[in-house]
Amino acid sequence: MRRVALAERHDWRAKAAECGFGFHTIDDAPYWDESAYYAFSLRGIEDDLEAPSEELHAMALDMVERIVGSEQHMQQLAIPEPYRDWIAQSWRERQPHLYGRMDFAYDGRGPAKLYELNYDTPTSLFEAAFFQWQWLEDQLARGQLPAGSDQFNSIQESLVEAFGTLARGIARPFHFAAVRDSTEDQGTVAYLRDCALQAGIECGVLPIEDIGISADGRFTDLDDRVIGCLFKLYPLEDMFRESFGAYLPRSGLQLIEPPWKALLSNKGILPLLWDAHRGHPNLLPAEFDGGGELPRGWVRKPLHSREGANIAMHLDDGRELRTDGPYRDGPCIRQACHPLTSFDGHYPLVGSWVVGDRACGIGIREDSSLVTQDSARFVPHAIVEEARGVLIA
Amino acid sequence: MKRSKTAALLLMSTAPLLLTACDSESPAREGLYTSVEACVAQTNDSNTCQQAFAKAKTDAAANAPRFANREACEASYGKEQCAERSDGANHSFFGPLMTGFFLSQMMRNGSPMSGFNSAPAFRDSNGGWQRPATSGAGGVYRGGATAMVPINATPNRAVTVSRSGFGRFGSSRGFGS
Repeated sequence: MRRVALAERHDWRAKAAECGFGFHTIDDAPYWDESAYYAFSLRGIEDDLEAPSEELHAMALDMVERIVGSEQHMQQLAIPEPYRDWIAQSWRERQPHLYGRMDFAYDGRGPAKLYELNYDTPTSLFEAAFFQWQWLEDQLARGQLPAGSDQFNSIQESLVEAFGTLARGIARPFHFAAVRDSTEDQGTVAYLRDCALQAGIECGVLPIEDIGISADGRFTDLDDRVIGCLFKLYPLEDMFRESFGAYLPRSGLQLIEPPWKALLSNKGILPLLWDAHRGHPNLLPAEFDGGGELPRGWVRKPLHSREGANIAMHLDDGRELRTDGPYRDGPCIRQACHPLTSFDGHYPLVGSWVVGDRACGIGIREDSSLVTQDSARFVPHAIVEEARGVLIA
Repeated sequence: MKRSKTAALLLMSTAPLLLTACDSESPAREGLYTSVEACVAQTNDSNTCQQAFAKAKTDAAANAPRFANREACEASYGKEQCAERSDGANHSFFGPLMTGFFLSQMMRNGSPMSGFNSAPAFRDSNGGWQRPATSGAGGVYRGGATAMVPINATPNRAVTVSRSGFGRFGSSRGFGS
């Protein structure tokens, strides 16, 4: 795995505008960054990322089965009581799910280590599935990449296929919802809706703030139609503690991601996975955090932190890193510290996408700090053929 | 190859796009509406909605279930949901009020094709929606002379009493992770 500098496409901003990619620059800071790319070997992709992603995904789903049968686990994951039966029921009915993203520390020189599962509201989807794909096609056409270069990215194909499979199981009307003022989240749901339409599913979009409730506890859209199925790019755990949350279990509303995803987007899954698969090469030691001082070599993460917020890291050399954020209270876990590898001063985190139940691509976020935060840039990747017998690892 | 063979966008793209239809059967757009306004809001097609409503209204007079008395009708359709009608030959009977209409259009490439099917819709006392069976179809419910079939894919409606119960934790950066 190498970081390779490459000239930007001169017209990439125009291309971004053409396909509705509005958040390539966020608060004047670059988010999409094609001044470099990461080069992988095909073997590295297949053996170190694709296969482990599918294995970990299967392990995670097995763990859901165990959690729904255990009040103790529900307690450890801080699932509010009124939602436990509903979550368990959604799993027993195998309510369909769409996608998730695993974040790995990986540098091409050892097994990828799972940092966490983003299995409820994963983003950086459009840039990984579409814009990164277009970058590769363009650079190949311009001869800027070695001939025959490829990319681990059938994410869009997999999304359209997954929607096609879901079509029969989706209650109508089907709406996509995200926070009204978030350009990034609105862009992500616009993209997902596009994929659903390509699969022949009729669907609408509305700001999550506009969802209504009827006197008999059903959720409505702006036309007072009862929403059949809602794709919500909004954390389940936040819905639980909002005023409409209490209506969810009896509303008849189908959710994507389904309620049982609350068990996997929760960092409490990490110590449970470690307990069940101690020593697995892709897992880092993890335990529930009882408070107290964080020893060297450990990282503390809140159960529900997103975008690298409220992370405390105590490195082996004694340095301590801490990020701020809104998740100050509430239970945490500890995970063995496995710092990202520096590539010319950049720290890439590999997001591995699972759509349906298939590992189908990666997207790389690169930060200048060891903790990948919302300031991290998206950098494309390519699978480059092994040249002249030299293995690119 | 480890990447998508092709990746296109339908709505997000400003560039013109030619789509080859991969579907042998065109999907249909179906809706149940309680008013012409609701229909227009959904379909953006005022002409079709008005025609569908008018046709449903005519069909309702001819095809609504018939009952000998008000009580029998209200037992099926609820209090004050029935009216006395006459078939024009001095035979009077009771039938449910049309509470909505059903519109179905074939779609091609995301746009409705010309022509439509519409039917009157009635709400039964359990809150379910029905429309008269098209001839030859086996009805599951028989009230009076016309077989009625339930409307399954109902864009059900409910009066919204409150909004903004989700989204309190929204931030400018949104909530994806």
